[in-house]
Amino acid sequence: MRLAGKRAFVTGGRQGIGRAIVETFETEGAEVVTCGRGPKPDGLGSNWISLDVSDAAAVLEVAQELGVLDIVVNNAGVQVEKTVVDSTDADWDLVMGVNAKGVFNVCRALIPQMQEGGSIINIGSISGNVADPSMALYNASKAFVHGLTRSIAVDHGPAIRCNAICPGWIETSMLDAGFELAQDPQKAKADALARHAVKRFGKPADIAAIALWLASDEASFATGQLFTVDGGMTAASPLNPGLF
Amino acid sequence: MMLNGKVALVTGARGGIGRAIVARFLKEGATVYAADLTPEGSLDRHDDDGSLFVKLDVTQEADAIAVMDQVRNAHGKLDILVNAAGIEIEKTVEDTTLEEWNQSFAVNCTGTFLTSKYAIPLMREAAKSGSSASLINFGSYDGFIADPGLAAYCATKGAVHALTRAMACDHGPEGIRVNAVCPGYIDTPMLQSFFNGDGSGGGGGNIETLQQAVRDVHPMRTYGTPTDIANLVNWLASDEARYASGQLWVLDGGLSAQVQQMKL
Repeated sequence: MRLAGKRAFVTGGRQGIGRAIVETFETEGAEVVTCGRGPKPDGLGSNWISLDVSDAAAVLEVAQELGVLDIVVNNAGVQVEKTVVDSTDADWDLVMGVNAKGVFNVCRALIPQMQEGGSIINIGSISGNVADPSMALYNASKAFVHGLTRSIAVDHGPAIRCNAICPGWIETSMLDAGFELAQDPQKAKADALARHAVKRFGKPADIAAIALWLASDEASFATGQLFTVDGGMTAASPLNPGLF
Repeated sequence: MMLNGKVALVTGARGGIGRAIVARFLKEGATVYAADLTPEGSLDRHDDDGSLFVKLDVTQEADAIAVMDQVRNAHGKLDILVNAAGIEIEKTVEDTTLEEWNQSFAVNCTGTFLTSKYAIPLMREAAKSGSSASLINFGSYDGFIADPGLAAYCATKGAVHALTRAMACDHGPEGIRVNAVCPGYIDTPMLQSFFNGDGSGGGGGNIETLQQAVRDVHPMRTYGTPTDIANLVNWLASDEARYASGQLWVLDGGLSAQVQQMKL
């Protein structure tokens, strides 16, 4: 039980990576509260709060309910699959509202009530370092998360550690939406798999595993960093002669 | 017990960080080969910790072959290799002799290459169990940004970073994950040597004052311990890290997350 006695708040726990983190933290003994837009999903035993993290006032209100926390995971995120030219003001408000402002809202509200030795884990992305095509605002929002992660580590250490995880291609509904953009989704999938050194896509549990390590006291010297877990994809050049 | 049934080999195993890794691997249930030049390594004592000591000069191809033959005969596989052997020459390019330059590359780069070269066939065997094998190199935060007076060291670590990505690319499809751990300031004999030597920046300044100044520049207000590094190496070695490959894992208490701290 690596998180026994710890209290955690995880945003975006309905499905995918967030759900895996909630379940892993609970298995390791933490008391977990999670949130998302809409009602409590089926099968989630943990405390659920309906919350849109882009709403600063609502986040402040929830902060009062939450009390003292050891771990905060900023996982809630959305994507809009468009270039800059095609993106609307509403797209900007949605993507930057949740992915960027949401992380800011949650950190600003919760840092003052975190325990000494607390750990903030933000979900960044490999897309914050290298661009996915037709994901302009998403890519930019994740670069914001990376910059904010370093700032929090520098400003709020040594009391609080702050790191970001940069997942690669993880089997979630977001990944499916990405493949649907392709002219031939099956072919695109095969091509993408060939670009992974470990020859598979990630699973939400793969990301929950590093989140657990970063949340635990074992990571007490880890702060201000971006930890990529992508099955080796971004270690390889995108020009992969084996594919031609 | 995160490493039950796994066979591990650690080079530089009797140095500051190496000992912490060996101790953790043993605690997690692994069979551990502790490879170093001598049973004492870079420290002045030898503790019988339950690991299997093997003499290995990482710059010697014959040593690498002999050590891997020993592992093959005993287990037929190697699940985990940690290339922790390393040396540090505390000099600028101008002051570094050719011999010192060659020795830095021989230990830090050629050593990583040779040990990996003869370990990979055994790691491929380990991966047939269905769990990936894990190869962990020692890079450094100095492979990204430079400390003064460590020219050859910084260069070798940059080379290890690139080699890490290359090996991840080549051997991932065979079930071998390859990552590098990039420590910042860790309390080891190497760090004490750096404080005492030309790299102190102060040239004969008070060592306690210097150490406090170094701690204060870290967002975590401390430098790390070998245990901090062993915690990460253990995770990367375990099946929990089964999707982690080709990455450089900086562990530095936030040091490199900030820009230079100006004293104005």
